[in-house]
Amino acid sequence: MAKAKRRSVLKLAGGTAAVSLGGMAGILATGRTPAYAQQKTVHWLKWVDFVPATDQMFRKELMPQAEKELGIKVNLETVNGNDLQPRTTAAIQSGAGPDLIMAFNNQTYLYANSVVDLSELAEDVGKREGGLFKYARSICSDGKMFMGMPWAVIGGMIAYRKSWLDEVGASSFPDNWEAYRDVGTKLKAKGHPFGQTLGHTFGDAPGFTYPYLWSWGGKEVEADGKTVVINSKETVDSVKFMTGLWKDAMDEGGLAWDDTNNNRAFLSQTISATLNGASIYIETLRKPDQYQTEKGQPMSKDILHAPLPKGPAGQFGFHLLQSQMLMKYSKNQDAAKAFLKWLHTEDHYRKFFESQKGFATPCTAKWENDPLWNVDPVMTPYKVAARLGQAPGYAGPPNAKAAEGLSKYIVTDMYAKAVQGMPPEECVKWAEAELKKIYSE
Amino acid sequence: MAVTAVPGVEVRRPIPRLRRLEDERWLALALLMPTAVLLGLFIAYPFVEGVLLSLSSARVGDPGHFVGLKNFAKIWDDSIFRTAVWNTFWYTGVTTVFKLALGLWLAMLLNRHFKGKALVRAFILLPFIIPTVLSTFAWKWMFDPTFSVINWSLFHLGIITQRINWLGDPDLAMTSIIIVNIWRGVPFFAISLLAGLQTISPELNEAAAIDGARPWARFWHITWPLLLPVTMVVMLFSVIQTFADFQLVYVMTGGGPANATQLFATYAYQLGIGTGLLSEGAAISLAMFPFLFIIVVAQLLYIRRVEVR
Amino acid sequence: MIEGAAWRRWVFYNIPLILFVFVLLFPFYWMIITTFRPDGELYRPWNAANYMPFWTNNPTLEHIKYLFEETNFARWMLNTMFIAVSSTIISLFCGVLAGYALARLNFPWAGALGTMIFITYLVPQTLLFIPLAEIIRNFELGDTPWSLILTYPTFLIPFCTWLMMGYFKAIPKELEECARIDGASRWKAMVYIIIPCALPGILSAGIIAFTLSWNEFIYALVFLSSPDEKTVPVGVTSELIRGDVFFWGPLMAGALLGSIPVAIVYSFFVEHYVSGLTGSVKG
Repeated sequence: MAKAKRRSVLKLAGGTAAVSLGGMAGILATGRTPAYAQQKTVHWLKWVDFVPATDQMFRKELMPQAEKELGIKVNLETVNGNDLQPRTTAAIQSGAGPDLIMAFNNQTYLYANSVVDLSELAEDVGKREGGLFKYARSICSDGKMFMGMPWAVIGGMIAYRKSWLDEVGASSFPDNWEAYRDVGTKLKAKGHPFGQTLGHTFGDAPGFTYPYLWSWGGKEVEADGKTVVINSKETVDSVKFMTGLWKDAMDEGGLAWDDTNNNRAFLSQTISATLNGASIYIETLRKPDQYQTEKGQPMSKDILHAPLPKGPAGQFGFHLLQSQMLMKYSKNQDAAKAFLKWLHTEDHYRKFFESQKGFATPCTAKWENDPLWNVDPVMTPYKVAARLGQAPGYAGPPNAKAAEGLSKYIVTDMYAKAVQGMPPEECVKWAEAELKKIYSE
Repeated sequence: MAVTAVPGVEVRRPIPRLRRLEDERWLALALLMPTAVLLGLFIAYPFVEGVLLSLSSARVGDPGHFVGLKNFAKIWDDSIFRTAVWNTFWYTGVTTVFKLALGLWLAMLLNRHFKGKALVRAFILLPFIIPTVLSTFAWKWMFDPTFSVINWSLFHLGIITQRINWLGDPDLAMTSIIIVNIWRGVPFFAISLLAGLQTISPELNEAAAIDGARPWARFWHITWPLLLPVTMVVMLFSVIQTFADFQLVYVMTGGGPANATQLFATYAYQLGIGTGLLSEGAAISLAMFPFLFIIVVAQLLYIRRVEVR
Repeated sequence: MIEGAAWRRWVFYNIPLILFVFVLLFPFYWMIITTFRPDGELYRPWNAANYMPFWTNNPTLEHIKYLFEETNFARWMLNTMFIAVSSTIISLFCGVLAGYALARLNFPWAGALGTMIFITYLVPQTLLFIPLAEIIRNFELGDTPWSLILTYPTFLIPFCTWLMMGYFKAIPKELEECARIDGASRWKAMVYIIIPCALPGILSAGIIAFTLSWNEFIYALVFLSSPDEKTVPVGVTSELIRGDVFFWGPLMAGALLGSIPVAIVYSFFVEHYVSGLTGSVKG
C-alpha cells in the first residue's frame, strides 16, 4: 500500500513537472507542443483481428487520433497470429523491430529478458478500472515486473445449438462431464456430435485440454514449479474418460483440426457444440442469410454459449490472453509507452472494446459490468472469461517452463495419443517423462 | 556502344588487369568473387552463428554460455526428436521414390508429339509454380474432415462407405502430407527428366526395337542408363528440399496429431521459435546436417561414377 | 517413335496422360471454383445433399473485388515481381560466372570450392533466418525489398552454379581454343563465345530461380513489416487468415492470381526451359 502511494505521488510530481516543462517548451516552440518538434514513429505489431471492423477502426479512427494528440506517427502492422512468434524472436535477436509487440498467453515469460517493465501502467489501469484480474496478473507479471500490458482475453466458451440440445432433452448445456458425455452420445447418434480439436493448434486445443485436466484434479506440477505430478490417478481417470468420450460423443475428425476447423464444422451444421471464441456466433450475425438452420431460421438465433463442464475437482477455463510487450531494444520507449497509456485511456479503449462486440473481454473488473454485455444475452457468458481463467503450468507459475510444455503440446498430445489407442497409463507416463525433462533443468 | 569501346581500349594499351585475367587462376578468382562475397556474407557467417548457438545455452533474448554438446545429448534423449527423425526419413524416402517413378512416367508420356504439347507441358508445371503456402491451404480444404471433396468423390464412386479421416489418423496424416509433397514435386521431376529423355536419340531405341527388344527391355537397357545422370541430379535437389521441408507440414498439420507428422524442420521451429529455446532449435537444425551430408555425398559420388562411365 | 494401333495409344499414352493432368490440375480447379463460389455455398459438409463440389450456380466476383479493394494485393504482386526478378538476375550473374570458373578453368581447390558452394545449399533456412535478421539490421536493410533481394541468392546461387557447371562442361573446349587462337582474350572468349552458347541453360536456371523466389515465405515474413512492402504469400496469409476464420474466397483468389504471372512466364519459356535443361544434363 505504502509503496503504491509513494509511486503515485512520484508520478503526480513527475506529471506536473512534465506539464510545466512542456508548457515552457511549448511557448518557445512557437506555440506548438514539444512532441511535434521531433515526430517519432511507434511501430505496433499485433495479430490481424478476427473482427475486421476493429482493425479498420484502428486504421481509420484511433491511430489518426493518436497521431494527432500525441504528435507521433503510428505504424500499425497486423499479421496472422501464428506468425507473431518468428517476428518477435527475430526482432529480439537482431535488436531491432516493432516497439510494441502483442504476446499470446505466457509467451510473456519467454521474452521476459527483452521487455521493459510496465508495472506502473498496469497498476494504474488496474486501480482505475476496479482491479486487474488474477489471471491477467499471473500471466503478465512474475511478481517483480509486468512483462506485458494486459490487453484483452479472447474468451473460450462452448457454443452450442439450442434446438438440437432441446431435441435430446437437454434444456441447458450439461454442466458436468458425465452429463456432457450423455448428451453428446445422443446427439452423435442423431448425426450431430460435439466437436473438439486435439491437434497441434495454439488456441482451441489447449483451451480444452488444460481445463479438462484441471477439472479432474490433474495438474502438471506442484506449486513449487518443480515437482512433476501429472502421473496421478486423477489424470489417468481423465484420460480414460476422454477415450470413451471421444468415441461416443465427439466428431472423430477433430484430431486433425486447427483453430478454424471447428468453426467451419459448426457453421456447416455438422457439430452441435464446440469450445471456441465468440467468432462462430459473430460470423452468423454478420451473414444472417448465409448461415441458416435446417428449418430456415437464421443460425444466430439458435446459438448459445456456456462454460466448460465441471469435473470432480471443479470448473476451469483457459482463455487466450493477449498483452502488449514494450521491447527493450526500442529507441522510442517513451513514445511507445505514452501511446500504450493513451490506448488504455478509457475513451480510447472503449472504442476497441465496443468494436469487438464481446469477442474480447478486458482484463479489469470495471468492464464486467459494462452495458455492452447486456446488449446481447448470447454474449453475456463471455464477460467472466478474464475472471475465471487459469494459466498453464498450474499449480506452478505460468513461467517459461510452462510455456515450453504448452508449445510442445504435451497435455494435448497425451489425450490425442490415448484417443488414437495408446493405453491411458502409458500416455500419462509419456507426458510425465516429457514434463520431467522440461522441469528438471 | 560498350561492345565496340572495350576492344578499342585494349588494342591501344593493354591494361595489366585484363592481362592478369589471362591467368586462369586470377580469372577464376575474379569470377568466383561475387559468389564468395554474397555466400560468405549471408550464409557462412549466419551458419557459424548457428553452430555457436547450438553449442550454447541461448534462449531468446539471452545469449547464454558455452555448454558444449549438451543440447545434442538432450535432443538425442528426446522421444519427439526421435519420432521426427524417423518421420523425416520416411517422408523423404517415400516421396522421392514416388516422385521419381511418376515423374519418369509423365516425362515419357510427354516425350511425344501431340496436339497442345506446349500447353500441357506449361500447365502441368503449375503445382511447382504456385506459392507452397497457398497451395497447401487449398489441399487442407480438400482434406478437411467435414468438407473433403476427396471423400465425396470416393463415396460417390462407391469406393468408401464412410468418411476417411485424412489428417486426423496418424498414418493417414503422414500419407496426406506425402501426397501433397508428391503432387508438388512430380512436375519438376517430369520436366527435368523430359529434358534428359530428349537427349537420347530415338535411333537407339529404334535400332533395339528392330533387334527385337521388348519395350521393357529397351527401357531398362537403353533409356534408363542414359537417363541416370540427370535422374541423380534431380533427385539430389529433391532430397535436399524434402528433407528440410517446413512450410507444407507446418500449414497442413503443425506436426500433429500427437507428433505423427513432426519433421526435423517443424520440430526445430517449434522448439526454437515456439519455445524460445534457440540453442536446442539450432541443435536440431544442425542434427539434420550430417544425415543430409551423408546422403548428398553418397549421391554426388555416385553421380561422379556415372559420369565417368 | 513406334506407335501401335489407336487403342494402344489410348491405353498407354492418352488415358494416363489425361489422368496425370487431371490430378495435377485438380487443386487449381478447386481454387478457381472456390474463388467464384459465393460464401453461402462454402460451408456445406461433404455428405450434405446440396454439396456441389465441382460447380456453382451463382458465381460471384465478390472475392476478387475484396482482394483488390480491401487488401494491397496489387502492390504485393509488384513487390514480389520486383524482388523475384532482381534476385534472379543477381543469382544468375553470380552463378554463371562461378559455374564457368568451376567448370572450365584449372585452379587449385576447384573441386573443393564447388562442393562448398553446394553444401551451402544444405544449410536449413530455419537455422539461418535468426542470424540473418541480425545482418539485415546491421546493413539497415530491414523492411526494404533489398533485404530479400540480397538474401534469396543464398539459396539460388548454389542451384544456379551447379546447373551452369553442367552446362558449361558440355560445351566443347575447342570452341574456346579457336577463339583464343584468333586473338581473343580469355575474358572475351567467355563473354562473346561461351556464355551465348549457354543461353538456354541460363534461361532454365533463371526460371527455376524466379519460381523459388516467388514462393519464399519465412524470410519475407521476418524481414518485411510494412503492409506496403509485403510479398504475395506473406500478404495473403496475414490479411486473409483472421484468428480462427479463413477468408477462403479471397485466399484462393490470391493464390490463383498470385501464380498467374509465373505461369505466363512458363508458358512462353517451357520449351526453352526443357532444351536448356537438356543442355545442362548432357555434361
